[in-house]
Amino acid sequence: MSATTYSSIPGAAKNETVAQRLSNRRRRSDTIVKYLCILATLIGLVMLASILFTLLVKGVGGLSLSVFTTMTKPPGSGGGLLNAILGTLIQTVIGTAVGTPIGLMVGTYLAEYGQGSKIADIVRFVSDILLSAPSILIGLFVYQFLVEPVGGFSGIAGSLALAIIVIPIVVRTTEDMLHLIPATLREAAIGLGAPKWKMITLICYRSAKEGIVTGVLLAIARIAGETAPLLFTSLGNSSALGGMGSPMASLPVAIYQYAGSAFEDWVQLAWVGALLITVGVLTINILARFALRGKR
Amino acid sequence: MSDAPEHLVKSYDTELKRLRAMMADMGGMVENQVSLATQAIIHRDNDAAMKVVEEDPRVDALEREVEQNVVRMLALRQPMAADLRFIVASLKMTGDLERIGDYATNVAKRSIVLSQFPMPIPFAGLAHMCQLVQAQLKNIIDAVGTDDTDKAIEVWRSDATVDAVYNGIFRELITYMMEDPRNITPCTHLLFIAKNLERIGDHTTNIAETVYYAVRGEVLPDVRPKGDTSAYAVVRPKE
Amino acid sequence: MSTTMNDQQGSHGGVQVRSASAIGKSSIEISELDFYYGTHKALKQINLNLPDKQVTGMIGPSGCGKSTLLRVLNRMYDLYPGQKAVGKVMMDGQNIIDPGVDLNALRARIGMVFQKPTPFPMTLYDNIAFGVRLHEKLSKAEMDERVEWSLTRAALWGEVKDRLNTSAMGLSGGQQQRLCIARTIAVRPEVILLDEPTSALDPISTLKVEELIDELKHDFTIAIVTHNMQQAARCADQVAFFYIGEMVEVGPAEQIFTAPKEKRTQEYVTGRFG
Repeated sequence: MSATTYSSIPGAAKNETVAQRLSNRRRRSDTIVKYLCILATLIGLVMLASILFTLLVKGVGGLSLSVFTTMTKPPGSGGGLLNAILGTLIQTVIGTAVGTPIGLMVGTYLAEYGQGSKIADIVRFVSDILLSAPSILIGLFVYQFLVEPVGGFSGIAGSLALAIIVIPIVVRTTEDMLHLIPATLREAAIGLGAPKWKMITLICYRSAKEGIVTGVLLAIARIAGETAPLLFTSLGNSSALGGMGSPMASLPVAIYQYAGSAFEDWVQLAWVGALLITVGVLTINILARFALRGKR
Repeated sequence: MSDAPEHLVKSYDTELKRLRAMMADMGGMVENQVSLATQAIIHRDNDAAMKVVEEDPRVDALEREVEQNVVRMLALRQPMAADLRFIVASLKMTGDLERIGDYATNVAKRSIVLSQFPMPIPFAGLAHMCQLVQAQLKNIIDAVGTDDTDKAIEVWRSDATVDAVYNGIFRELITYMMEDPRNITPCTHLLFIAKNLERIGDHTTNIAETVYYAVRGEVLPDVRPKGDTSAYAVVRPKE
Repeated sequence: MSTTMNDQQGSHGGVQVRSASAIGKSSIEISELDFYYGTHKALKQINLNLPDKQVTGMIGPSGCGKSTLLRVLNRMYDLYPGQKAVGKVMMDGQNIIDPGVDLNALRARIGMVFQKPTPFPMTLYDNIAFGVRLHEKLSKAEMDERVEWSLTRAALWGEVKDRLNTSAMGLSGGQQQRLCIARTIAVRPEVILLDEPTSALDPISTLKVEELIDELKHDFTIAIVTHNMQQAARCADQVAFFYIGEMVEVGPAEQIFTAPKEKRTQEYVTGRFG
């Protein structure tokens, strides 16, 4: 029937049964794939939920004001996590404060100044390798260059290791976000007679603000939970906060050390620490998501 | 214009070709009217005269159709350059052709009246004028069909001859009227016929100017040599 | 008498009508201009004048070089390595494609509006003030006046005067484009380059922008690149037709669209381009 009306279209006439068979087959595979996807998602969700659930069950029991107000004491004397919390906060803040400007500037160079230059290609390559390098290597590196020559673990060394982790994350997000800005927006600023640096700082950063902030938040979330680089640098301190020049406490290291200990109350503290870090990182991630959504 | 490559939009090309065809049709119809009207006077042929009169409404209808097409194309196609000039020219030419048809009809009607009178005068002058005007009309319609601006200029120049012949006829007819008052009715009709033929000549020159602009994109340079001086003619009775 | 005139002008947010001596001199004269994208020659021996206080329309098929020419005029091509212009583009006796030209100052004199509206991610007010602040130091009151002046000239003041401190991203497309025009004229350029300024707008916004162009040509020399021939016919005093890097024909808009001299122009404007 239809062959007469569409005679100019090449190929055999439309065959209803063939079409029906093809359609049925497609619908079957569609259904199978759909259920496989749901299953995979469920597995992931169940894992995550069980981690959170375990953390809550084991951690909430140990939560008390003293966890936040007292330093860790020897086993059996009921100490808190104040030193570890403060240590993580200090090292994270310093790490971010040092790493973000460097990352921002490198990212800006790559996106705005280094198009097509060899140096930029190399920098980008190295930065991407650094991004995926195991963090324990970074710890070892700082150990080799800062801890050993100076002759001791320190908060400085820990912060520096974290900063090194921050840099490539910020470089990547900054460069990506700047690349997303349409060329015409840049040309519009240039076209008004703006010098390049004003275009970048006043127009490009403003346009890419949400993205860059998200990148920084993700970097913070990442370093707040890092353990490996701190083991070689700030070591941890299970009695006091420690200082920038001496071994400094931190939550991840505290968890690492207490969880495996033989003392009931230290194990409990490890659970509480794990809960705190998880909630903190989760909060930052959610914040980052909201910051990103505000744009779109 | 006609050797230009095809338009990217085929339906636009089709419309332009149809407009061209309508102009050719209308030209043919009017040419036929004028030749029948000529036959009606010279051979006192009332059948020919009737055919001219019957043809007129069809010419008018075609004119309206051309007008509608032109307006539609201007609105929908936004023609440019040569297309624009041709479309606007069609609008102007269709008006001229319609007027020519009207004059031919008027000539035919008068020829019917004339046939009731004995012919008082020799036809030679009028026949010559008919010939000139017919040739002019044929040439200009050919020029429209072939975008021939040389031919158009030729027509435009040749109208001076028609005007000269007309002036002669004008004087001749007045003389006849003065000789015998019984000649007044047929001669007045003949006078109008001659005037109508002269007007047909004028419209062919209008068309010539329009074709020239449509094809070349320029206006014809100088003022047309006008030969109709009958407006100032004074003929006094012989002593 | 003359002092009162000056006072009036001076009080107008620093907006001064250019003095009479300036009239007639700011047209741009392009001669024997070649342009290269790397080794590809995108413009060949262009000779074209932009008459002062008139609109020059540039038409031609995609890739014919008309946008490239605009980008030569405000040296936008300098942003991209490998692009090079050779020839003369004279403005006030200066060849603006000379390497020594102060680009920021040049771009203040030759403003540009792009195909897509490009509002900056800031308030309406700051969008306008951004360009002005680059070149002038104005008091708050003067800046207020300048913002109002340019928005009024861009026929946008009435629509936005109550929301100057809201983000420019909240405007409609047509409003955004008029904001971009306001932003450009706020710098008080002599020449405005419009690169297909209405191709992303609806017909009504397009007409508003066209009306605006008609208004602006009293004060500015305008060059507009457009794919829309009717737009060039409506807006331009002079039209130049480009084809594969060459300028085929230039003439009054009326002549180009009713009786072009060149066969290629004729074929393009009637839609017979193969």
